Amino acid sequence: MRALEVPEPGVRQPLFPWSSVAALSALGVVFAAVAWLPGEGRSAGVPVRVGALVLGHGALLATALEWARPPGAGRAGPPVVVGALAVAAVTAAVLPFGALAFGVVPAALWWAARRLGFRAVGLGVPVPRGAVALGAGLGALLGAHVMVTATMTVGYPVRVRATRELLEWLCYDAGASVLAMECFFRGALFDRAQRRWSFAAAAALSAAGNVARVLVDPLRPRTVEVTAGAVFYIVLLSVTSCWLFHRTGSLVPGLAGALVFFLAYRLLMPEAG
Amino acid sequence: MRPAAMRAEFGIAAAVAAITGAMVLLDPAPATPWRHLYLAPVIVGGLRRGPTGGLLAALAAVLAYAPVVLLDVERAGLGTQAGEAVVTVILLLGAGALSGTLAAQADHQRHRYETLVAVQQTLALDVPLEHAVKRLHACLARRLPGATVGLAVRDGERLVVAGAARVTPGSVGAAVLVSGAARYVADVGGAARPRRAFVVPLVAGTTTVGVLAVERLTDIGTAERTALLALGAHVGLALENARLAALQRRFADDLADKVAAATRHLAEADRMKSEFVAVASHELRTPLTALQGFSELLVARAFTADEVRRIGDIIRSETERLARIVSDLLDLSRLERGMTPALRRARVAVDGAITGALALFTRTTHRFEVDCAEPLPAVDADPDAVDRILKNLVSNAIKYSPPGSCVRVRARPAAGGVEVAVEDEGDGIAAEELTRVFEPYYRTPGATRAVPGAGLGLAVVKALVDAHGGSVSAESGPQRGTRMAFVLPAAS
Repeated sequence: MRALEVPEPGVRQPLFPWSSVAALSALGVVFAAVAWLPGEGRSAGVPVRVGALVLGHGALLATALEWARPPGAGRAGPPVVVGALAVAAVTAAVLPFGALAFGVVPAALWWAARRLGFRAVGLGVPVPRGAVALGAGLGALLGAHVMVTATMTVGYPVRVRATRELLEWLCYDAGASVLAMECFFRGALFDRAQRRWSFAAAAALSAAGNVARVLVDPLRPRTVEVTAGAVFYIVLLSVTSCWLFHRTGSLVPGLAGALVFFLAYRLLMPEAG
Repeated sequence: MRPAAMRAEFGIAAAVAAITGAMVLLDPAPATPWRHLYLAPVIVGGLRRGPTGGLLAALAAVLAYAPVVLLDVERAGLGTQAGEAVVTVILLLGAGALSGTLAAQADHQRHRYETLVAVQQTLALDVPLEHAVKRLHACLARRLPGATVGLAVRDGERLVVAGAARVTPGSVGAAVLVSGAARYVADVGGAARPRRAFVVPLVAGTTTVGVLAVERLTDIGTAERTALLALGAHVGLALENARLAALQRRFADDLADKVAAATRHLAEADRMKSEFVAVASHELRTPLTALQGFSELLVARAFTADEVRRIGDIIRSETERLARIVSDLLDLSRLERGMTPALRRARVAVDGAITGALALFTRTTHRFEVDCAEPLPAVDADPDAVDRILKNLVSNAIKYSPPGSCVRVRARPAAGGVEVAVEDEGDGIAAEELTRVFEPYYRTPGATRAVPGAGLGLAVVKALVDAHGGSVSAESGPQRGTRMAFVLPAAS
């Protein structure tokens, strides 16, 4: 019974420390710049794509780790993770099967989180298998729904992709896009918010941030139906992930759900090119 | 999750799927009447699982209904049917939220009343505060599933705590105890998941008699906090009532004990007074009989001078005895009226007073041994009172020790005065009776049967010694004889 036995901490950290505001501002600038490039983001040159990827996802990962850093702990975590992300991005851009290199990012994150005591970003706590299965199931449900809705309405047929392409997307999501979103919007932002406010308020903030992040993503097709669908499904996916994180204290169930959902989403995406 | 709850949720999911299937097969249009059937599982979800259940069921229905609507929008654009679909979606979500909220409110209300009744029943038992708090804690822990409950209740200067080891200064509970204002903390820390805590004061009137702390991993909403505040006020009042009832019971018990003791004391006093009347009559009649008999003899017969002297001695002795009894009775009467005996203080030489007092007891078979320390200071006392004190003590020693035994009278300087002790070789007095020997009319049970007396002597001794500002004490034990001692202040 900590309310009776443990003295209250003196000063509470602010929800948004200034250091992270700077990093997030950089992220916004990068995404905005890429979005204003001629055509769509994916048609930009390799250096721009790599730079945007590293800065965008790296900013989220670095901020999540920085927020989780206990007072007095070392600052090596964010540079190592961003460095791993940069190496993976370059490798993916220049080598066949180079996207597999995104696998080093979770490893680097694991290393960094271990140095920080894991718990602060929702890693290292016991992972309930049932919750992981539930997360994957909910992700699959939303994924199936988006596939049905998209194919029935807006003419996005489900495309049979080469295993290599699917694997590359999966590695990208697991090592960069989804990992960064879950780490920041659930492990960092939602966790900090839920320790101040109610679940509903914290989940709303997390979902709003996540939607904003997806809306400024240069890889997203700029059509009304995709935008509406992104808002709808990302809100549902975010709330689901928040709920799983709130119930288990672990990032893994939400991560599983998001990976499954984005795998379905990748099947709907137009061919890269 | 319980099997019954799982069955209900599977049932809701199956109903949504069945309605969607029927809609797709029979009338796949947004305005189909089949869509209204979604209300059934949505309302059931709300009733069974509260607002969350209602909204989730509504969400499931909306997800199932969406492809039908979107397909129509794709085909015919945003027309009347799309508008009806939007209304249907709003209706489903509203129905889920409303039915869930109403069901949850009714459930909370029922739960609240049940909790209040349980608290009342728990505190109605006549048990010490520690037990009451433990029982209350167990009751609340049962009534608030999924939460950790802590209770701290003031008991004078200390705190009775249940559900926690202690109340640490600086903690939320300690702050509420001081301020009397409830506190909600979104996270008390120490866990991977945030632990919500709500600490409410237990209020009785305007006094905070304790705190009730509730901690759990899920949100504690405004309605629950309001309910917990009401519960805190109720528990505080119930605790105060229980405390007052216990106090009243203790007071009644104490009063009954005191009345019983007073009744016993009165009965004893009544018995002792009755006994005293009988004994005093006998004690007064004995010297009177002697005086009457010898005076009649003197009138009726002619005696020689020696015989007249002897009879005169007897008459004087019996007269002194009579006078002593009457003086004792007068002193005791003054004492019972709250007055102290009248004293005429002077310098009194203790050794001389002892010799004078012993001169009375010439017709006894006891031996006397006098031991006075040298030099012995004089005392500041009434000479008559000192004489009566010594005669009473020596008379008692003679009465309660076997014939031929020795009675020792010792005098020693003591702190600020002189201590005089009279020791006999009698059977002694039991410890439980020793404390009562100075009470008026009190006689030890053994003495009542064996030795004549009114139970006045030692009471008068104590009254006289106290009036001098001295002290009197008794030491004895079975077969060890008795030592009665008094201290009188030395003359300056």
